[in-house]
Parts: sequence; C-alpha cells; structure tokens
Amino acid sequence: MLARVADNLFWMGRYIERSEHVARYLNVNYFSSLDAPNLKSQDRQFVLRSMLFMVGDPEEDTDKFLKEEDVLYKIGLDPTYSASIINNIKFARENANSARDLISTELYEAINKFYHFVVNYPKDIFVKNGLHDFTTHVAEMTDILRGKIRGTLLHDATYAIISMGINIERATQITRMINAKFNDALLSQGGENNMFSKSFEWTTLLKCAEAYDMMRRFYKKTPTSISTLEFLILNPNCPRSVMNSLNQVNQHVKILNPEKRYNKDSTAFLIGRVRSEYEFKYIEEIDQDIKSFIENILKSLVVISDKVDEEFFSY
Amino acid sequence: MENIENQIFSSYLRNPDLYDEIHDEKGKVKEVYQKLFNLYGEHSINDYVLLNNKAKSSFFNQGITFQVYGENNVQEKIFPFDLFPRIIDPVDWDIIERGSIQRSKALNLFLWDIYHDKKILKDNVVPIELITSSANYLDQMNGLNPPGGIYNHISGTDVIKHKDGKYYVLEDNIRCPSGVSYVICNRTALKKALFGVFNHYQTHTVTNYAENLLELLESVKPGGVDVPNVVVITPGMYNSAFYEHSYLAKTMGVELVEGRDLFVENDFVYMKTIKGPEKVDVVYRRIDDQFIDPLEFNPDSVLGVPGLFAAYKKGNVTLANAPGTGVADDKAVYTYMPQIIQYYLDEEPILNNVHTYHCSRPDELKYVLEHIHELVIKPVDEAGGYGISIGNKLSKKEIEKVKAEIKASPRKYVAQPIMSLSVHPTYIDDTESFEQRHVDLRTFTILGKDKEFVLKGGLTRVALKKGNLIVNSSQGGGSKDTWVLKK
Repeated sequence: MLARVADNLFWMGRYIERSEHVARYLNVNYFSSLDAPNLKSQDRQFVLRSMLFMVGDPEEDTDKFLKEEDVLYKIGLDPTYSASIINNIKFARENANSARDLISTELYEAINKFYHFVVNYPKDIFVKNGLHDFTTHVAEMTDILRGKIRGTLLHDATYAIISMGINIERATQITRMINAKFNDALLSQGGENNMFSKSFEWTTLLKCAEAYDMMRRFYKKTPTSISTLEFLILNPNCPRSVMNSLNQVNQHVKILNPEKRYNKDSTAFLIGRVRSEYEFKYIEEIDQDIKSFIENILKSLVVISDKVDEEFFSY
Repeated sequence: MENIENQIFSSYLRNPDLYDEIHDEKGKVKEVYQKLFNLYGEHSINDYVLLNNKAKSSFFNQGITFQVYGENNVQEKIFPFDLFPRIIDPVDWDIIERGSIQRSKALNLFLWDIYHDKKILKDNVVPIELITSSANYLDQMNGLNPPGGIYNHISGTDVIKHKDGKYYVLEDNIRCPSGVSYVICNRTALKKALFGVFNHYQTHTVTNYAENLLELLESVKPGGVDVPNVVVITPGMYNSAFYEHSYLAKTMGVELVEGRDLFVENDFVYMKTIKGPEKVDVVYRRIDDQFIDPLEFNPDSVLGVPGLFAAYKKGNVTLANAPGTGVADDKAVYTYMPQIIQYYLDEEPILNNVHTYHCSRPDELKYVLEHIHELVIKPVDEAGGYGISIGNKLSKKEIEKVKAEIKASPRKYVAQPIMSLSVHPTYIDDTESFEQRHVDLRTFTILGKDKEFVLKGGLTRVALKKGNLIVNSSQGGGSKDTWVLKK
C-alpha cells in the first residue's frame, strides 16, 4: 500500500471515530442535563461549557454568557471551525476519496451518503430542534461505516491501518471525555448529595461512551468515580475502554509489520510496551492522581500516532 | 413532423430530415427496437420521472460526480444519464469494431514510422510539414522502441452515424482518452432502474474492460520482468476524471498513484509503500505528455515524476500510452487517415473519414467554391472552433465574403461536408417527455502485444440541448447506456 494513501486511510478512520464521539457527547450531555438531579448539572451554561471543553476549545472567560445556538452550531455544522462535526466528516470523505481504488464501493458509498446527509442538514433546524435527530444519525452512520469497514474490506494492511486510526482515536476521545467529565465533576461538587466520587457526571460519562448499561451489569451498583474509571480505562472487555482500544491497535500493528515486532524502534514494540503498562495497572494507582494519569494517556497516544507516521507514512 | 402511437411516445416529434436511430424513414419502429419500444410503452411518463430521479441520486451517492467551481462554493454535479438505451445490432457493430481496430493499428504503425524511418513522409503520402510543425511531435521519442512495439495502447474513436446511415469517424483520441468508466456506470444504473428490459435482449457485457486492460498492460511489460507491477497514475483527486482513474485502478486491482508517490533511482521507478520502496514496471498514465517528467518536459510540472522519461528511455518502465502519440490524432493528420490505412495495411478504410477538400488543390478549390452552401469551411491552423463557417447558415453576402477569403489564400482552408449526427429518443427533464436528440459514439480499443480488444459497448454521448450537435459534457452533454447485441 502506498504510504500517502495509508496516511489518508489512517486519518479517515480517526475522523470517522471522532465525529461519532463528539456527536454523542453533545447528545448525551444536552439531554441528560434536562432532568439532572442537581442545579449545577442542569445549568445550560454548564453543559455548553462542558461541550466546548471536550472539543478542546474551552471558554476561558467564566462570566461570559454562551448562546446555545452559537455553541451547537459551532461544534455541529460550522464549516469555518476545524473541529466541527461537519468538518470531521468532510475530512473523512476527502481521505476516502484519495483511496477510492483501495476501499470497497460499499464503504465509499456509505461515506458519501453520510457526507451528503451532514452537508445538507439545515442549520436552523439543527440549532433549534434537530440536535437529537442529527447526532443520533451521525452516530448511526458511523456504525454503518465501521460495519462496512469490517464487513467489506480485505482484512489486510488497508484494514489494519484504518482500524489503528479508529482505535487510537477511540482511546483518545474516551480519554478526552473522561477529562471533560472529571472536570465537570470537580466543578459540580458540593452539598451532601453531590460528592465528587458519587457525582451524576459519572453516569453521564458512561452514557457518552455507550457503556452505562454494561457497566451496571458488571458492577451492579450506581457508578462512582472509581468504578467508572476502572471500567472505561482498564476493563479489556468494555469495547470502548482505553485498554480494549490498545489491544486492538496492538493486534493490527502486527499485521503491518510482523517481523519488526521485537525491534525496539518499531511501532509494534512501542504499542506493546504502552499496552503492557496499562494491562498491569490497578485503579487505586490511578485514583491517586487522576489528572496526571489522563495527561499521560493522551501523551502516550500522541507518541504512538507520531510513531505510526514515522514508520509507515514518511519518506 | 409525425406523431407516433405509444403512450409515452405520444408526443414524440419525429423530424423526417434527421436520421432517427429507432425509426425507419417511414416512421415505423425498427425491428431491433420493437420490444424495447413496447416495454417502455407499458410505463407511464410518471414512472420515468421517478426512475430518472432515482438514477440521479444513485450516481450522486456513488460519488460519480464532477465539480463545478462557483464564486464562493464548490458544487458537485452528476453527468446526465439517459434512461433509454441505444441498441447497436451485430451487423453494424461488426463494422464499428473492425473499423476501430483498423484505425488503431494503422495509427500505431504510423507512429512507429514517424519516430523511426519516416517512410510515409519520404514517400510523400503525408506532407512532412504536417509532422515537423506539430507541437505534439516529441523529438525525444525519435528512434525509441516502446516495449511490445505499441504506442497507442488505448484509443478512443469518436464515431457518428450520418444521414446516409453510414458510420463516420470524427476524431481519434490516442493521448489519454476518457469516458470508459461511464460506459460501465451507465450499464449499472440502467440495470438498477429497468432491469426487466434486459431479459428480452442478449446484450454483451461491458464489465470485462478492466481485465482486458490489465492483460494488455502486462503484455507490454519491460524486458527482463517476470510478473510486472502495474500502476495507474492520476493528476489527483481534483482532476475531473479522477473517478475514472480510481475506478480503473480498483477494478484492475492495482495501485492508483500520484507523481509524488513515485521516484526514480538509477533509472528504475519505485513507489513509496508502507513497507519501503517497491519497483514499478508498467505505468498507465492519465497525465498529459507535457507533465509526466519535469526534467524532460514542462519543468514546472508537479504532477509528474522527475527522471521518469530517462527510465522509459532505458527500457525499464512502460508508459501507456507512449509519449508523443498526440502528433497522430490532430485535425491535420486526420484528413490523411484513409491514405495512412492504405499505406500500412494495404486495406480500404472500414469506417469512413469525413471527406476533406484541400483548397490548395485547384480541382478541389473549384468544387468548394461551387458548393459552399453545403460545406463547412475550416482554417487549417486554428483550434477550438475558431474561424469556422457553416455553409447553410451563411447569407448570400457572407458566402461571397468567404469565397473571397478562400481565393485570397487557398492554402489556409479546408472544407468538409456538413455532417448530421443521428438522433435518438432521449428523456428530457424539463418537458418530462422523450424527444429527439443528436448522439455520437466513442469506442474504446486496446492494442497490446499480439492482442486487440474493443469494448463491446462504448459511450453514446447525447447533446441535450435541442438541435445542438455538440455532445461534449462541458457543453451540457449527457450519455446513454449502449447495447451491442449478440449475434
């Protein structure tokens, strides 16, 4: 596979995954805040700020009044904002375009339909009453794309590269969500019924990761900070956990370069090391300093992504 | 004008002065179209409105589009596709197929000759000035032997059916002819929309193009290569034919590369893969001569690969089509095609050339001056349709003016009979009805080492504007699925 095309497919995977997480974050936060058990979590300003924080564009001015329609438009459909959902999908399609000969017709057509859905979504409807419709559609269409990727592509290097992009991005987005909700839980604490460790925000976080039901099944208890983080970071069977994503990346990198696995400068080696580090972590370790732990994961993911770039895409 | 009895054709106006492909001169539907005509008649026009919209959105979702750059936005458009297929019966097809191969072979021999011994020029069959004055003649190709002896691996021949019912070639395209992917898309779209009609006809498939193309490209591999590595090179995804480039690469199962994905080392060509450099042996290039190698041709080109031509010269890589083929498909050489075919193949041309009168010859000048009202007068040295006079559109005063100009410098002008493209029923969006529109046909011929293949189908282009004779997509042309029937 051409290095340039591999680069594009890697990023196609990342943009597809990213658009889904941003969409779900908007959806879950907005709608669960409507009947949240405490005033802080119900506050619209609080929710809008959390959204901006999650996409990496926090509003620093704590007194500024945010207009709901502006924030939703910016993150959803603003073509001039590079991290908006519409741009993620534009970039995903552009990357797919340049690899059109490699991917299946079915996958390309699905991406193309997705693109047309998003670019043709009426702005006014979106900001007034289309948030649920739009974001659930986006999430569903990304599911279709992952289905087409898994079900119609040859499981060779092309598939491995796309899957690596998807999983690195998934781990990144889950960590960003954890970061945002960790921040929200800190901000919203106070009062007897709203301790940090039992914050309503942990439930929201699990829902953002579509992991709430399974978490309840696994722990059979109301989510706390510690159980939520353990589930979303360390549980290898939770499909959206950081651990699960790292395992996937580790499997796929082996397809690309099996013979280089034990070469200490290879991507496979690096991923193996990072993966092992998390495999043998326990939650109490993380709980001591959640903030630096989150920063470390994000850093490791960037290092992995850079290494992929260096080994496979650069000439 | 006569009306024809059939529900959806009830308002079909048949102009008896035009050659209608589905009706005979008495207005009766030709036998080969009879079943199709009846099947289409079972539907109401509303069905077609619906099907037409469905077909449009199918092209859109498949991303078979081209981009139109507006003032502040980029719009995606689809190439208009017509729901009524064109049928070519086996007898006619036999002529078209043999004729396309004959022309492609003759052009290949002509190219070999003018880049080697130049016998045809020495024998004064084709005037030497025609070649030396051509901007598309590449000195670099002189004496070079392309692998397999093939220059025009892929040819697109534009054919029309004239009023007299005979096929004429309007143009040979042997640089980077495009359009073949639309042949296949059109078939797919029609099958989705009206699958029932296919049960009643034995139509040749068009999906075998890619496998034949790959076989051809592998047959002209450079010497010493066992299993050649074939790639398609494209100017990139913003090129209007990018869909076709990606389609061909995908269906051949080969890499689609851009110039920046390749590099040349010690006169061998490599592509940059995720596992390091990989040697490339055959390049199906969809980039024009001038842009393939900045070291040899246009130095500003960023689309090409520095050193590619040197590798080609060394015989380490095959380029298809070969550089320098453009010299043989221009207007001036076209007029000599019957002589070129005769000279190399010792055969009569199977497809007609539009006859050309050279005003430089006194007897032909006399004919031209006497028959201006039925001729098209073209200056030989202008391109893009400039300076053309169409005889039957001129006033008496204008005719005298043109005559004076020709007499003043007869060498500057050639004349051709006014050709009338055949017409075919075509679904028209605006009026929601079927109407007569002019059509042509582009055939795709593949020449390899001891191998030739013509795609049994071809691209029927339709001039969607009423009365218009220009079928190019840039001029609002559409296209039709084209059925070649089995014998």
